[in-house]
Amino acid sequence: MNVLIADDEPLARTRLRELLTEIGGCRIVGEATTGKEALEQGVSVQPDLILMDIRMPTMDGLEAAFHLAALEQPPAIIFTTAYGDHALAAFEAHAVDYLLKPIRKERLESALHKLQQLNRAQLATLKQAGGGSPESRARTHLSVLLRGNLQLIPLESVIYFKADQKYVTVRHAAGQVLIEESLKDLEEEFGEHFFRIHRNALAAAAHISGLVKDHEGNCMLALQGIEELLEISRRHLPEVRKRLTKG
Amino acid sequence: MYSEMRALLSLNDKKKTGTAVKPVTDELFLPNFCGVRMVLALMVIAQLLAFVLSLGQMGSENRWKDLSLISLFIQWAALSCGAVLCLSRPWLRKLPNIQAGLLSYLLVLGVTAVMSEAAYWILQGAVMEPPLTRAWYYGFLSRNLAISAIVSAVALRYFYVQHQWKRNIESEAQARIQALQSRIRPHFLFNSLNSIASLTRSHSNEAEAAVMDLADLFRGSLREARLRVPLSEEIELCHKYLHIEKLRLGDRLQVRWELEGLPRDALLPVLTLQPLLENAIYHGLEPLAQGGEIVISGAQQQGMIHISISNPANPAAGAKTTGNRIALDNVRQRLHAFHAKRGKLIVEHSNGTHRVQISFPYLSKEP
Repeated sequence: MNVLIADDEPLARTRLRELLTEIGGCRIVGEATTGKEALEQGVSVQPDLILMDIRMPTMDGLEAAFHLAALEQPPAIIFTTAYGDHALAAFEAHAVDYLLKPIRKERLESALHKLQQLNRAQLATLKQAGGGSPESRARTHLSVLLRGNLQLIPLESVIYFKADQKYVTVRHAAGQVLIEESLKDLEEEFGEHFFRIHRNALAAAAHISGLVKDHEGNCMLALQGIEELLEISRRHLPEVRKRLTKG
Repeated sequence: MYSEMRALLSLNDKKKTGTAVKPVTDELFLPNFCGVRMVLALMVIAQLLAFVLSLGQMGSENRWKDLSLISLFIQWAALSCGAVLCLSRPWLRKLPNIQAGLLSYLLVLGVTAVMSEAAYWILQGAVMEPPLTRAWYYGFLSRNLAISAIVSAVALRYFYVQHQWKRNIESEAQARIQALQSRIRPHFLFNSLNSIASLTRSHSNEAEAAVMDLADLFRGSLREARLRVPLSEEIELCHKYLHIEKLRLGDRLQVRWELEGLPRDALLPVLTLQPLLENAIYHGLEPLAQGGEIVISGAQQQGMIHISISNPANPAAGAKTTGNRIALDNVRQRLHAFHAKRGKLIVEHSNGTHRVQISFPYLSKEP
């Protein structure tokens, strides 16, 4: 079994490495120190299992697991954590198991055993069920699967979301991509940093540069980093004005 | 047996390492009549009583004369009572409150009788028209005793109630401080134990040192929250804490100490700095992949000690996470409890730096 170890603490990684060596039957194919690294290596190395710490810098383990679930053949995840306040979230993320630090060798062994017992079909359902955003917290990145590669877009680089039929266009600092999520869900998750400016559009508060009127007298929103102006619907104008003056 | 041993142990602890604020004891409920403030209060109350008595006299011909005579008598009687209670205080405080109360009541009545007797002799010596009779003397004495009995009973009751009220306030404040006892984060505990488990295999010496540091840190956190310790001791505890964190975080944790200008004997509530450092690491450095530097600096100005702890802030999460606020509120409230308005905690957030500053008056021994 190919295993990836993800933990920001060197000694915690050492411990897992030593325990896995003692238990045997595992090959350590990589180590990651942040959730983002775990995600990147999860895509490039394609391990069978990731031993994932929950509290890591840049991106936490729960979010990394959420993005990984989008892969066609996602790795199985066993969470490791110091304190039991994430247990529910971990099971929502459909982890195979959840280990508490300091990690016991027998406990790790039984988790690995449990993973081997699960047949392919069971694993597949486990992985497919891993939908929905992790916990109730907002993600720090959006992930898009492009020809088998997972592309990550940091949320702070997103300029706007625009709904079009079935897809939502994500315009970000380095281009644009389509995602299959509803504008309503996005607004619920990221409402703190995004304004609803139109029935079909959310704009990032941090990127707004000002309001302008076009030649027909419609109110338009100017955003930093792009030429394009976005229409603000009459219905949303008062709310947008209020939030702009408040900020 | 166990609780006795514990009490003994904590007593030893106190002797060795710090001084506690005065505990609530079953002390004498009477105020100290030897103090200037109490004497002044006694005179004011005596004068008020004199006004009441002179106003109450029916068919008086010369109110001013009455008032001056009554005032003179009552002032003498009250001050003598105060003096007697002041002198007998060392004996009274050895008695239980009820006996002390009864005894001081009898003392006050005794002093009143003696003063009445003296007043009678003085008045008799003076030229009085008509001369004072024996019957007048008995009336005078019994009236004085009755007034003294009522007034001193009311006064004693008042002192007792006030004493109880003060005790309640004190014990409430102490319960609050106790409840605010700083707790070490479970996250830190379990991660440290995991590090130690990892070290035991290859670096047993480091593992041993880490276990010792962790033990000292926990002993510190189990100490009574109303304890105050010298700054040097708190700094040592912080070093132990940082030593463990360094094991976990490696080069991601950098610390710079700039506390040269501070007196090492300055007293501060136990575990004041450590939770602030823990906060700086948990909310500041840990969420940063590359880590950063924590700077602890201090200054002494006009009898106040200022210590500030700054760390690079995590740009993604706002500074106002709940855990953060709880720890800060805890330290802030304990500084308030010890130093009232002079104990302060200020949080600043600017240019990607999170800074917490605590200020408290410089004291090197318990007041």
